[in-house]
Amino acid sequence: MTGVDFWRRVDEDLARQPMRPALELMPRHSTGEFSVYALSLTSVGPYRMFAYLSIPRGEGPFPAVLEAPRYGSVNNPPHWNDRLRYVVLTPMHRGQRLADQPFAAEYPGLMTQGIEDPDRYVMRAIVADCLRAAEYLFFLDRVDPARIAVRGTDLAVLIAARRPRFRALVVEAPYLHRIDEARQATDAYPLEELNDYARCHADGEAALARTLALFDPTAHAPDVTATTVVGIGDGHHDNREWLAPLLDAFPTPPEERVLTFRGGVDADWFDAWLAGQLGAAPMSRFSAVAR
Amino acid sequence: MQPGSISPRAKIGVERPADFDSYWRDVVAAASAVPLDATLTPLPDRSTPDVDVYELHYTSIDNLRIAGWYCTPRQERVAGPYPGLVISPGYISEPLIPKSWSRLGYAALALAPRGKLRSNARFNPGYPGLLVHNIVDRDTYSYRGFYMDAYRGLDALLGRPEVNPARIAVYGSSQGGALSIVLAALRSDVVKVAVVGAPYLCGIRDAARLTHSYPYEEINEYLRAHPDHEQRLEETVAYFDGLNFAPSISCPILVHLGTADDVCPPETGLALYDRLDAPKRLVVSDGSGHDAGAHWLGDVVARFLADGLRGER
Repeated sequence: MTGVDFWRRVDEDLARQPMRPALELMPRHSTGEFSVYALSLTSVGPYRMFAYLSIPRGEGPFPAVLEAPRYGSVNNPPHWNDRLRYVVLTPMHRGQRLADQPFAAEYPGLMTQGIEDPDRYVMRAIVADCLRAAEYLFFLDRVDPARIAVRGTDLAVLIAARRPRFRALVVEAPYLHRIDEARQATDAYPLEELNDYARCHADGEAALARTLALFDPTAHAPDVTATTVVGIGDGHHDNREWLAPLLDAFPTPPEERVLTFRGGVDADWFDAWLAGQLGAAPMSRFSAVAR
Repeated sequence: MQPGSISPRAKIGVERPADFDSYWRDVVAAASAVPLDATLTPLPDRSTPDVDVYELHYTSIDNLRIAGWYCTPRQERVAGPYPGLVISPGYISEPLIPKSWSRLGYAALALAPRGKLRSNARFNPGYPGLLVHNIVDRDTYSYRGFYMDAYRGLDALLGRPEVNPARIAVYGSSQGGALSIVLAALRSDVVKVAVVGAPYLCGIRDAARLTHSYPYEEINEYLRAHPDHEQRLEETVAYFDGLNFAPSISCPILVHLGTADDVCPPETGLALYDRLDAPKRLVVSDGSGHDAGAHWLGDVVARFLADGLRGER
């Protein structure tokens, strides 16, 4: 089975499954400047997933941002600053809180769930959930279709590649890239989940290599059409040399942001870059409230 | 205020309720009256040649079963007794299995207080939700039980025969920092050293005024919906504010924070530091956010904890 076949079947599964979105206003999170909704929609399985949707008050169309889910049980609602400037869609993939019935993800545990078979690997369904969210965002009438971005870990690369309608892609912190190599040099979770699996399964090493290769962003980057920035670290598994195969795989060389690891500085830089791509004003989260 | 500037400090404050100490004496007594019933389940699939991994469960106040990940060095590699380390999680984070700390020689317990996965069967206010759950009533406020889950987790650690009860450390960032402050204060007889990063739940009411980031944004949202609750909210959170626990801490404590932290405003961490009357060290990372300089501080934290336990027998 090739990666092309694997991902084509994901698309076919999604296409067969009606989305059937439902919106409910969340007054607690809404103000006179934006409205926040609880969005439920159906992904492959079928599975009912959840997303926060925030829309600025006004006519629009507005630039939009899709936030790729983090690896963890909780994603915060969209940040205040982003609600003011963008339509923001923040999906919870299956297993995360608010999308945890009937399936509640375990941490540790999620990363290896079904990993012995790529078709049963939970990450296949998680990527499908993210693609479903993208599909929803593309057709919102108050979204400017020429100004849509996706940001997050390198999960965002898969989204941007599989649904190449994004103007901008922000990869703040790659972790799926060469993950099968990276996990062998650490005992820190979540990568240690993979090591636990390899220790306890006779053919674990082979299964990990076979399945994880399908999710390496390097295999997807050639299909990215968005203007891209990638965060470059200073560690063994996030430095320029380590990331070179990924960086070289994009059809257009991405901008490389050398991280300072001063979170406020880095966050402001990425915010300004994205705002520039989407025609919005930069806003610092730290300065969101006057002191 | 721009990154690099961490003044003024004077904005942060909270009144210490006159019955603060007696309130917590009563809560601790109620929590301690519940049999701990600690159970340890080996997890061979998570264990390594260096570290044994277990899942710990114990009963806390309100008769809730609470979970934790517990790691010890392999007895055949490193003989006990081991220094004990309680690691508390951040607000939206799940506790990580603390193998790396056991490789350094600790019996390490990573807590999953109520509402966290594996401890949420009967109490699950969600995220957002936990911070404002019953926030107008100190007797049922979420953090009353949450703090006691940490307190009783330390009891569970102290009950382990392989742990040296004279060598106990606490460590955490953000909400983990808040819980570490509470443990160092309420268990000042036991906790010998603490490390607190980007401390949360310090100057709670002022912190919410200084940010639009979660989790403090939960308070702003709550008060937009219930402006008439403000006084009762302030009365409640005063009992749970780290600034009011700080004076009870006597062990050496390291506080680290970032000058551009939008989640836990740096002014609040500085206010905590100012209120500490214990051997203390402050590391301020210019331009750092809620990471609080963690990228560079791994060795500093490990050394501070080890130094704090040195000499304890």
